[in-house]
Amino acid sequence: MYRYDDIDRTFLAERVAEFREQTRRFLAGELSEDEFRPLRLRNGLYIQTHAPMLRVAIPYGLLSSRQLRMLAHIARRYDRGYGHFSTRQNIQYNWPKLAEVPDILAELASVEMHAIQTSGNCIRNVTSDHLAGVSADELEDPRPWCEIIRQWSTLHPEFYYLPRKFKIAVTGAPTDRAASEVHDIGLHIVRDASGAAGFEVLVGGGLGRMPMIGKRVRAFLPQLELLAYLEAILRVYNRHGRRDNIHRARIKVLVKSLGVEEFTRQVESEYAASRATAPRLEAAEVERMRAFFAPPAYRSLPDVPPPAGSGAGASAGASAGAGAAYLAWYRHNTRAHKVRGYRVVFISLKKHGEAPGDMTDAQMDALAGLADRHSFGQIRVTHDQNLVLADVSQDELPTLHAALVPLGLATPNIGTLTDMICCPGLDFCSLANAGSIDIAKQIHERFDDFDYLYDLGEIQVKMSGCMNACGHHHVGHIGILGVDKHGEEWYQITLGGSASGQVALGEVIGPSVAKARVAATLARILEVYVERRESGEETFLQAVRRLGVEPFKERVYASDTAAA
Amino acid sequence: MRQILRQRELTADAWRYPDESGEGPQALPFAALVAAGDSLPAGSGVVIGPTDDVRLLAPCLARLALIVVHFEKNGDGRGFSQAQVLRQQLGYQGELRASGAIKRDHIFLLARCGFDAFDLDPGEDALAALAQLGRFSVAYQRSSGKLVQPRMRG
Repeated sequence: MYRYDDIDRTFLAERVAEFREQTRRFLAGELSEDEFRPLRLRNGLYIQTHAPMLRVAIPYGLLSSRQLRMLAHIARRYDRGYGHFSTRQNIQYNWPKLAEVPDILAELASVEMHAIQTSGNCIRNVTSDHLAGVSADELEDPRPWCEIIRQWSTLHPEFYYLPRKFKIAVTGAPTDRAASEVHDIGLHIVRDASGAAGFEVLVGGGLGRMPMIGKRVRAFLPQLELLAYLEAILRVYNRHGRRDNIHRARIKVLVKSLGVEEFTRQVESEYAASRATAPRLEAAEVERMRAFFAPPAYRSLPDVPPPAGSGAGASAGASAGAGAAYLAWYRHNTRAHKVRGYRVVFISLKKHGEAPGDMTDAQMDALAGLADRHSFGQIRVTHDQNLVLADVSQDELPTLHAALVPLGLATPNIGTLTDMICCPGLDFCSLANAGSIDIAKQIHERFDDFDYLYDLGEIQVKMSGCMNACGHHHVGHIGILGVDKHGEEWYQITLGGSASGQVALGEVIGPSVAKARVAATLARILEVYVERRESGEETFLQAVRRLGVEPFKERVYASDTAAA
Repeated sequence: MRQILRQRELTADAWRYPDESGEGPQALPFAALVAAGDSLPAGSGVVIGPTDDVRLLAPCLARLALIVVHFEKNGDGRGFSQAQVLRQQLGYQGELRASGAIKRDHIFLLARCGFDAFDLDPGEDALAALAQLGRFSVAYQRSSGKLVQPRMRG
């Protein structure tokens, strides 16, 4: 992974000193709240329902075990013993004290971490594929490009006060595991006819109040032109993006109002005008970055045969006791690795009884140790709020599983209904209209039969406590949106959304449902799927696409017990 | 007379803005300057707002001694792009001044975009603002600013 040099360390020390001074001025009454707000936001600090919330950047979701131990230390020393992993592959602390935040930032700096630009109207943490570098379908590892973008966007003098927040995702594989089409800019590594690598550039995707899928503005951008082209896009946006209405200020609104052709023309024109002075990447610098992400020292290992009963059609009940638990975990929480003898392990943060994405300090410390023993000391955060140990040798899987179970980190539900994305919701967030964590709990309680979950197959449930859509509900196979009705929490259900492959926004099935009825409503939707699926092969999403929302809607609103 | 920070000095400003009376040369509003075209005398000054297209200044840049970019409110970043285009693409060499909602916390990045003079928000401490020009000794991007020249990699 990337390691800081003298430039990075000096910069971060100076940044911490700057924020320490700004915090001092605010606490001394020398800065008003209005003046302090944009400064603290660009250091990751929100004022939330109960206390400040600090969002720490995990660039493209990659952590070393040393960094994870630091996150544990911060949870223990400055918070209430836990942190919350977000859909931006970041971690949030809900209970820090404002006066201590400069100290937290200084501690983070000691392990090459920060909270810079994790909020505010600026370029946010760049996100990527959690299987970067280990997936067989990858054309090229996107992480060197992510780090190039991270550095370029850090305190970019021109793009620090944009009309609104700005999110960039980079993927290097045909399968999009980073929801790149719902980002302000989505970059896909592609090859042209000659085999040269470049980027397909999408602009104007996003969720929130006005969900949109990104539009292609460039089919192929030569790699070394990346920063010049990003600057052209950002300059057009900085100049023409709306600043009069916060709900119309994202770049997607500009792309929509100009039309993608005119927007593209303006970007290309700006790109041409700035060619002579725009930042040009040197091939040597790219190579330097690539070296940081070279594969770890894999051993030459044979493939270990998967545990008996893990093939298609096997059920979790096929064998008994610990063997069955291991089998279920192997089938659902591990994935193929591009190197023989290795496997990718998902650490589920969706245990019944825990808020999705939450992790305690003790769990973080323990997982850091397991990463050291079994996965070259690295951990990844996924955008659906789980963690990954990407490089586990197959012969160590049983040992790793046995260690994860007592930590509560082996819930075998990856990709299933209970592997939900969930924002912090009304319990923590001052923007939320409704709770999310309670709904996650309700769903866990209702769907506690793993055999049923496995029979349902892959279903992505995504839940947001308000229309800002931090929980990506628009692109959930089942989306749940909290709404406020006369001071009560109600939930709008959408079906058929998808964040990858054929990206789609979900369709609302009808009036929102009462809080107590959310899991029951899901149960009715799933009944229809089980009855109407064409074979054991047709997934929930495929069935919704084939059937449309109508049959689901009919069942949900069949009596007035479920609906408003 | 107004005090401004210019090239790291706190100095009296000889210029008058378009709405000001009194002694000294007067800067023109953007529209008047563009309308003047070839009749614009050398050594002129102009005040531009966030929506003005600085590329329209290209024909008369050589006759401009002062461009004031006015920031109407804290957090409006359009002036940063105006400065970059003026310095990098159009090669403007004269005084480039930021006025309006300018606080010490903006100074460093403004200077990196090519501003070399600052008409600070009333109430901001000029010396404290001046000190912020040394806030960062390193940076990740090349820059058109001459006032601050942080160290870069490579």
